[in-house]
Amino acid sequence: MEPWHGHLLKERVDQSSLLIQGNRACVLGALDAGVRFYAGYPITPSSEIMEAMAFELPRAGGVFVQMEDEIASICACIGAALTGEVAMTATSGPGFSLMQEAIGYAIMVEAPLVIVNVMRAGPSTGRPTAPSQGDVMQARWGTHGDHPAIVLAASNVADMYRLTMAAVRFALRFRTPVTLLADQVVGQMRESFSEELIGRYRLTSGDFDFTPGYLHPDVAREVRRPHILGSGEHPHVTGLFHDETGFPTNDPEKTDKFLRDLYNKVAHHRDELCLYDVKNEGNGRVCIVAYGSCARSARAAWRLADQEGLSVEILHLYTLFPLPVEIIQKVARRVEFMIIPELNLGQYAHEVRKMAEQWTTVIGMNKTDGTLITPREILDRIAELVGKYESV
Amino acid sequence: MSGARGGTSPEQKPWDLLAGRDFIEVRFGGSGGQGVILMGVILATAATLDHRRVVQTESYGPEARGGYSRSDVIISNEAVDYPEVERADLLVAMSQPAATQYIGSLREEGIFIYDSESVTEPPLFRGTTFAVPFARMALEETGRKQTTNILALGAVATITGIVLADSLRKAVMGKVPPGTEELNSRALARGLALDPAEWQRGGAGAHS
Repeated sequence: MEPWHGHLLKERVDQSSLLIQGNRACVLGALDAGVRFYAGYPITPSSEIMEAMAFELPRAGGVFVQMEDEIASICACIGAALTGEVAMTATSGPGFSLMQEAIGYAIMVEAPLVIVNVMRAGPSTGRPTAPSQGDVMQARWGTHGDHPAIVLAASNVADMYRLTMAAVRFALRFRTPVTLLADQVVGQMRESFSEELIGRYRLTSGDFDFTPGYLHPDVAREVRRPHILGSGEHPHVTGLFHDETGFPTNDPEKTDKFLRDLYNKVAHHRDELCLYDVKNEGNGRVCIVAYGSCARSARAAWRLADQEGLSVEILHLYTLFPLPVEIIQKVARRVEFMIIPELNLGQYAHEVRKMAEQWTTVIGMNKTDGTLITPREILDRIAELVGKYESV
Repeated sequence: MSGARGGTSPEQKPWDLLAGRDFIEVRFGGSGGQGVILMGVILATAATLDHRRVVQTESYGPEARGGYSRSDVIISNEAVDYPEVERADLLVAMSQPAATQYIGSLREEGIFIYDSESVTEPPLFRGTTFAVPFARMALEETGRKQTTNILALGAVATITGIVLADSLRKAVMGKVPPGTEELNSRALARGLALDPAEWQRGGAGAHS
């Protein structure tokens, strides 16, 4: 199927430039990656994704369904995925909570899905219109049992486009749900975006052939051969531990192998799954480890620091899970401090600390008042740290 | 102050108080329903047409109607990192709470523009200030209070030169609801024709 680009024209402000909202860029990425099924329930600050999908999908030959709630939404997506469709839904914290049980089911039945969570301040209804990164650990461990998780984090409009595409690719290759995290600022911001960039990240149409029953040619070796509805077979699908036939099993050896395969199909492919960017590599005693909108604050802080003669390294993570162990430990070995700015009370800093504290001091910087961390706040913290240790 | 210009030309030559700057931070503030976020979107679109790099963010209350509403626009010649206003070069306040709350984010040498009927107690600001009865003008010009935001954008362009008038016209036409083009075009023209000298309340003029 050819990538479908009619929708892009509407976003053009002139021949060469586009100004697109993050949530809409996510929809463009999804369409370009072959998503043709969306079921959802609107919620601020993710609603524009659903709104755009409702408009675009029927025109792209896809199916859009507004469901009665988020539980039904994700279940509809699982059903679509089991027929070989690429399915997607988008939500925010309260809806993501409702989806957790079915996410476990999707993992167990190896249904490829993309779930976008545009985070708002929580818990509960919280502050619907304020940005947050409070759902990071929920994205990893929200559903019960030992399970794999692929979690990506977008920091700008271009990320919303390309990471949505990456999410589709990962979902198909590893046959598992992939969560893309954004926040109110990233989801609802509009930003200059060039068609050149779209070209650069476009996956070739050969990567995606979505005739029903089709299995991604590049599927990871640990994935069990899926039984696809509509393929002429009579598949049995269950959330119970099952064997190759799809029917339940209580055989200790089989269930143990099943769980380990499920887990390892992600853990063994960290190299491929862990997307990140290092700025100013090997220069400076301090590294800012950041993701999402905090990565933008970090970049701005890095420029300010540079003006003040302070050298700082930045590790910008696009993949939060599986944990990018190798790069974190590599950087940890060469810096004295790792600063982790987050719009939560230190959820990811805790993960980094476990990986890095034998080599470096890991310091969380946390804000939960519904505003972004400013570059100046990060710079002040760096100056304080470096100064404090110099004066000892 | 020697900024006053004679004549009643339909469109004022911009004062260009912010024209040509490499990096400009703009904040629009008001209440839900005034079209404050649309002001940000339109300015961002116009700046994109001027081949600038732009980021526009929005922040609003959880209420379906009313509540606060804010839109930040960063216009730059390079990619923008931090997406929100840190020290505004321009603050446009369409309500009293917005003026009171955001005046602190405006730098001393920045420009403060407000709707003089909504902002009855302007906060203390020593810099360049313009007080314009945007809502009243819109009502006079088009009979529709809803065109206030577009009229104010025209005034912003004339006072600051932040975007080209042509780009702003194109952006407005592309973003207003179908069927309202003519009304909004009149509102915009009225804003673009505004004489900054007539509405300046304090601070430096164009030629000071």
